[in-house]
Amino acid sequence: MHRTIGFSTGALAFGDFRRALDMLRRRDIPAVELSALRQPELGPLRAGISELDLSRFAYVAVHAPSNIKGDTEEQVVNHLLDFAAKGWPIVVHPDAMHDYSLWRTFGDLLCVENMDKRKPVGRTVDELSCVFDRLPDASLCLDLGHARQVDATMTEAYLIVKSYVSKLRQVHISEVNTCSRHDRLSFSSIKAFQQVAEFIPENVPVIVESVIDECDIEPELRSVEEALPVRVAVA
Amino acid sequence: MSMPLTPAPVEALEARLNVRWPNIAAARDLAVQTRAKLRGVLIGIDSEDSSVVVSGSLARDEFTTGSDIDWSLLIDGQADPNVVDTLPRIEEIIDAIAAKPPGREGTFGALSFSHDLIHQIGGEDDTNRNTTRRILLLLESSPIGRPDAYERVLKSILQRYINEDDGFRRGSGRYHVPRFLQNDFARYWRTMAVDFAYKRRSRHGRGAAMRNFKLRMSCKLIYVSGLLTCFSCELKLSGRPGGHPCPAPGGSPECIACLRDFLRLTPLEILATTLLAFPHLDATARTLFNAYDRFLGLLADKKSRDYLESLPPDPDTHDATWGEARQITHEFRDHCSKCSSTSRAIYTISLRCTESFNASYHRLFHRRAGIR
Repeated sequence: MHRTIGFSTGALAFGDFRRALDMLRRRDIPAVELSALRQPELGPLRAGISELDLSRFAYVAVHAPSNIKGDTEEQVVNHLLDFAAKGWPIVVHPDAMHDYSLWRTFGDLLCVENMDKRKPVGRTVDELSCVFDRLPDASLCLDLGHARQVDATMTEAYLIVKSYVSKLRQVHISEVNTCSRHDRLSFSSIKAFQQVAEFIPENVPVIVESVIDECDIEPELRSVEEALPVRVAVA
Repeated sequence: MSMPLTPAPVEALEARLNVRWPNIAAARDLAVQTRAKLRGVLIGIDSEDSSVVVSGSLARDEFTTGSDIDWSLLIDGQADPNVVDTLPRIEEIIDAIAAKPPGREGTFGALSFSHDLIHQIGGEDDTNRNTTRRILLLLESSPIGRPDAYERVLKSILQRYINEDDGFRRGSGRYHVPRFLQNDFARYWRTMAVDFAYKRRSRHGRGAAMRNFKLRMSCKLIYVSGLLTCFSCELKLSGRPGGHPCPAPGGSPECIACLRDFLRLTPLEILATTLLAFPHLDATARTLFNAYDRFLGLLADKKSRDYLESLPPDPDTHDATWGEARQITHEFRDHCSKCSSTSRAIYTISLRCTESFNASYHRLFHRRAGIR
């Protein structure tokens, strides 16, 4: 069995999702996360979605804006509902939500991501429990890079997986450096992620967030496979 | 945030024994107030990569009006040449609140870096200062303000002790005790004892009586609390509400999380948590905490404290204040040793491996230092 591994369009081409999708199609990569990490990217993504052929992707998700202007939250949620109507999970940062009642509409398609060390919420299993208390139907996007940045021992990542494995809908993977930027996997991050790999179910899609050039897609995929090996059953 | 293991274990022990330890309570209240005051005035000094960390009596909830404030700026992030400019600012703020500056060894009142603390365990580069900073970070420290860097470093240190202890991970020993960690606690206790002799010599005996008093009380307490932390799993002390069940052997993430949670307790709370679990030691608990309460009472009393500070290195045994101090330390010592009866594991391991309680106190320190 193989893990389903794909890329974030934002990691490959920032706001130019069409260019990123072309890169992925050329390589038969089966999963994609459409990034609208910056709020102005959401409108064009929504407008362009009807003309995109995503039928070749086995898994599609959408990343909601990470910083939503206070008076536009309802409008953003309404835009995102168009994507959710297609059955695509909506990945959201816990600190981007202000009125939780708006987000409950997504049910389990809302995929709450654990945060990096800069954020005041959602970094640890205890902090995530506060979010899930308010969004009991939401699922989890485990960002391994964030979890490692918060706790290099991967204890927190392990506790998050153990506590919320039933909610785990997708994984983000990349190295998150000291400036909290998503970078290529290093030897150290690969070794760290291997510590929790066996606890991540093989059918959970993995989205690569490493910010790389197109020529680095294949090497990065190999690094991800090394970081999250699939256990081979022994007969 | 994680839940404390037992809500207010010292108060719970007081209630069970139907006693009051007013000096312990006063010291705790003053520590809480002082940390809150520091938090208010140090706002904005720290960051996600740096934590202002206090140690000593302020972190142990044993703060009295004559206490100094041992602090350091713990760095776990990008190298920044400007960070050193933060030190005078912190010093200025803390000096305005503290009764006196931190110790002169340079262990505190300075920058402390995560890489040294995490990577240099044992070996030539694990200096006296590094060992002291690391062990005190585990046993008696508290972040003032942002805890991000502090938490990362603490867990990384614990990971080293657990992941590199093959016997503990495999569960191959008779007792489920992290020996790498336990041995480092034991080493630190001996370092403190040796440093007592060093300071007595280098400071020409000045303050030796007071340091002796503290060595036999607060320093011994943190060692005992370290040992009890190592034995906490074996003694089944560490089950926190909503915690993760121990899958031992081999469950290092759970062990790290469990130890981290246990170490949120102060040394006195660790001792109280242990004694609460063993009602047959109620008489011991009463004597131990009575002794410690009297110790803090003497420190909180300016006249007694100043007098103890002024005593020569070999005080007159008929001196009333010193006599009282000696009696307190003897009661504390004798009843610490009885804690070993909480478990056959402690008794066996402490005697065989670290000579931790009664045996070590007599053999290693008291006899050699000429203390009766």
